[in-house]
Amino acid sequence: MMFKELFSKEADEITERDPASLDNLRRRVSGAIVVVLIFFSLIVIRLWSLQINHGEEYKNRADSNRVRIRQVVAPRGHILDRKGREIVTNRPSFDVVLMREDSRDLDDVLKRLAPILNDEVSSLWSRVREAEGTPRYLPIRLKEDVDWKTLAYLENHNKEFSGIRIEVQPVRVFHYQDLAANIIGYLGAISKTELENADQTVYRGGDLIGKMGLEKLREADLRGEKGNSYSEVDARGFERKLLKSYEPLPGREIRLTIDVDLQQAAENLMEIGEKSGAVVAMEVKTGRILAIASTPHIRLNDFVGGISHDKWQELLTNEKHPLINKTVQATYPPGSTYKMVTALAGLATGVVTPDTPIYCPGSYFFGNRRYGCWKRGGHGTVTLKRAIEESCDVYFYQVGQRVGVDTLAEYAGKLGLGRKTGIELEHEKSGLTPTKKWKISRYQTKWQDGETLSTAIGQGFNLTSPLQICQMTATVANGGKLYRPQLIEQVIEPDGKVVQTFQPELLEEVKGLDNYMAIIREGLIGVVNGPHGTARGAKIDGITVAGKTGTAQVVKVAAYRHLKEADIPYKFRDHAWFTSFAPAEDPEIAVTVLVEHGLHGGSGAAPIATAVMKEYFRDRLSVPDEGIVKEIR
Amino acid sequence: MQMKNKMKDMLRIDRRLLANFDFVLLILLLVVCAAALSNLYSASYPPKSLATTPYIKQGVFLLISFAIFLVIVCIDYQELLFWNYPMYVLVLLLLVFAIFMGHEANGSQRWINLGFFKLQPSELAKMIMVITLASYYARKEVVYGYSLKQLIVPIVLTGIPFLLILLQPDLGTAMMIAIIFVSMTIFVRLKLSTYMILGATAVTLVIFAWEKVLKPYQKQRIQTFLHPEDDPMGNGYQILQSKIAVGSGGKFGKGYLEGTQGHLHFLPERHTDFAFAVWGEEWGFVGSLIFLGVYFFLLVWGLYIAMNARDRFGVLLAFGVVILIFWQAVINILMILGFLPVVGIPLPLVSYGGSSLLTTMIGFAILMNIRMRRFQI
Repeated sequence: MMFKELFSKEADEITERDPASLDNLRRRVSGAIVVVLIFFSLIVIRLWSLQINHGEEYKNRADSNRVRIRQVVAPRGHILDRKGREIVTNRPSFDVVLMREDSRDLDDVLKRLAPILNDEVSSLWSRVREAEGTPRYLPIRLKEDVDWKTLAYLENHNKEFSGIRIEVQPVRVFHYQDLAANIIGYLGAISKTELENADQTVYRGGDLIGKMGLEKLREADLRGEKGNSYSEVDARGFERKLLKSYEPLPGREIRLTIDVDLQQAAENLMEIGEKSGAVVAMEVKTGRILAIASTPHIRLNDFVGGISHDKWQELLTNEKHPLINKTVQATYPPGSTYKMVTALAGLATGVVTPDTPIYCPGSYFFGNRRYGCWKRGGHGTVTLKRAIEESCDVYFYQVGQRVGVDTLAEYAGKLGLGRKTGIELEHEKSGLTPTKKWKISRYQTKWQDGETLSTAIGQGFNLTSPLQICQMTATVANGGKLYRPQLIEQVIEPDGKVVQTFQPELLEEVKGLDNYMAIIREGLIGVVNGPHGTARGAKIDGITVAGKTGTAQVVKVAAYRHLKEADIPYKFRDHAWFTSFAPAEDPEIAVTVLVEHGLHGGSGAAPIATAVMKEYFRDRLSVPDEGIVKEIR
Repeated sequence: MQMKNKMKDMLRIDRRLLANFDFVLLILLLVVCAAALSNLYSASYPPKSLATTPYIKQGVFLLISFAIFLVIVCIDYQELLFWNYPMYVLVLLLLVFAIFMGHEANGSQRWINLGFFKLQPSELAKMIMVITLASYYARKEVVYGYSLKQLIVPIVLTGIPFLLILLQPDLGTAMMIAIIFVSMTIFVRLKLSTYMILGATAVTLVIFAWEKVLKPYQKQRIQTFLHPEDDPMGNGYQILQSKIAVGSGGKFGKGYLEGTQGHLHFLPERHTDFAFAVWGEEWGFVGSLIFLGVYFFLLVWGLYIAMNARDRFGVLLAFGVVILIFWQAVINILMILGFLPVVGIPLPLVSYGGSSLLTTMIGFAILMNIRMRRFQI
């Protein structure tokens, strides 16, 4: 036995076994048991920490590992007119997207895809790069809203483009092009600050949110509720099974008080004449808005899928300010339309009666200054009704002087001037009704009595928005009831349930002045129907229209007075007002038109009001209207 | 003639031997193996083709291992004193073979392809080291602790397989070889001066290894372990996912076959090194506690066997076997719980792998052997 021999010497040593040493060794095994116990205790303590102390936390992390939540965009609520006609709804937009998880050979795919999408490879790549850092399962949008031809091609050749998919998303569609564009507003990708202030459970980066107009103001109603699908994914990102899913809930429908026909009439005429300005039509007895137009306006389709930088710059720099809703966000001196206020103040305080005669020689001297009447030759002796009809400045200088500026302001306030009307639109301006106190606090100088004269004819410090003038006109027309202008009639759930119905809201009622207002109304009827009225062209056969023209001075200096009107530079020309109501016997509608730099109310603004009126009274006209466009030519 | 007698002697099993059969050890072993197999079924759930499914293969290995277990039980462990060096040399040859002709995977040559089975000689090396060191220290008995000179032979005996395994490279297993040496050497006691010299040398070696020997990926693993949050999607991923798996098990677990981290592949290496994470996820704290309890009892029972062994060799051998299984288990579980870096050490009996299972079962067979022959002189 060779091996045995080899190790025999050592093997011999075993035979000399020392029993005490063996016992020592055995005893040391118990030390090892202690070591095992210590390490197993350590393991148990660690398990306790992981599974009991932090169990919930790790459970959440395991769930966020495995559960993928995909959001399904909800179709936004529709916007309808008062007759239920759809103004804004949704249509499917077919977007070409890249699914990174399924993508192979991206460089090659994008190279072949670019010509099909009519795009540069570099711009596709920049879209891909922008999305770096977002979860890989989220699709990257390469091109929004592709046409049917592209769609069909990609569907037929989908095997050649790995990772490229078509996704359908609802986008806004406008059935009347840019109808009421600035009122409706537009959507845009939610900004960082908006996201921080918004409900985090509702919004996520990349979501669309209303940025302007009703889309913004009624965002909560219109947006609906996103759908969610929860699916289980494995570590490579493949979806194993759908856990649960919730269909998106479409947004609520908003039914406006606007009438599409009237709105179109107002906008078309302004646009055909390339006029910059505002048109407001309101129901006299309810305050409901029938038409509210501001021109020039934004182009709604420019904003679908995001507005280009160039187009946005153009909007910002355009000197006619298409982004401004001129019906509420711009203010102008009311001009002679303010004479309603002066007349009411004069009658109510008793400084004049309807029959008080005032002589107009063509100008009025006060202090050391001459205050001219627009009619240089003068109106001769006039009473209130004729003073309104012919818009005699001298008459109203004197009435204004007699009542004082603070009383004028008081009655202006009764008719709604100098404060916000409270319509549901953003950035409404309150305008300005000057008082003595206001001047001291604003300019630290005393009110000059001469300034009262300018105020009395609607110039000077006076500032009003077209909506305020319309509200004032309606209040005079209905005998003193100041209604809040309303734009929304109803908010309706997608299932037809009415969420909110707006009732006419009476803000204030001027009592005891109805007989005075009746006298003023007679004067206003004369403006359109009288032999010397300033807006005789606004007459409509079969309907008694009452109204008032106005001219808002842009520059006070008489530097351009000697020029012919056509020679005055556009931006120094006066603004033209016309505000009206009809039928005068039992008023239903008030229409106010402001044309920026339109020179004269009678010629520049009144025809547009007439066209809107004719549209409103279409069924009641004795002579069928031949079309609104013909009217202005 | 002598040889024939020897063989007869080796296989002698009398009635007394059978009467001493340790059913406690067997039952504990069977319980752990059953739990491990069911866990492996879950780790490979849903089942794909039968032939390649880990739990089927592991089941077959288990049967083979039990057969070998029974054979080893029949042979007196004293024979190991005789066969120890030939087996040691054989394993060294296998290690050399693996390095030059072995099957490569993950940048390391660890396996010898036997067709039906890929043998991992480094696994066998761990057990051979236990046997070799036990038999050396059994032969060389000293009263007041070993001197440095007396340690030269065991250091060389450990150093050769250590370096061979390091060359594969397989840092985890090499480290285990070193740990076995350290554990067993401390167990037999050294002179104080020897402790101090060896300690200083070890520190120097560790510093040297960090600077010169460790591969960048190995350093990366250790650094990742120290700062896992620096790289949650890269090297820290395994540790993080493992912690999430175990932690999300909570008090009572997600239920058998309901673990999401494992089934959805978030958990890496869930059959092998991270098998216990699957258990922790599905059975929770309570289930893990029960499992660890059984495992703990199995180890303590092994140490009890060591304590009651017949002779010095028996004590050393039983201690070595238990301490080998213990360190692997502790390192594996602490790694899964995020306490240690990912080092590639399996959980004995639980992790999938034929070589590891075979080695571990040989170890338990040796324990049973020692137990059964505790009274024989």
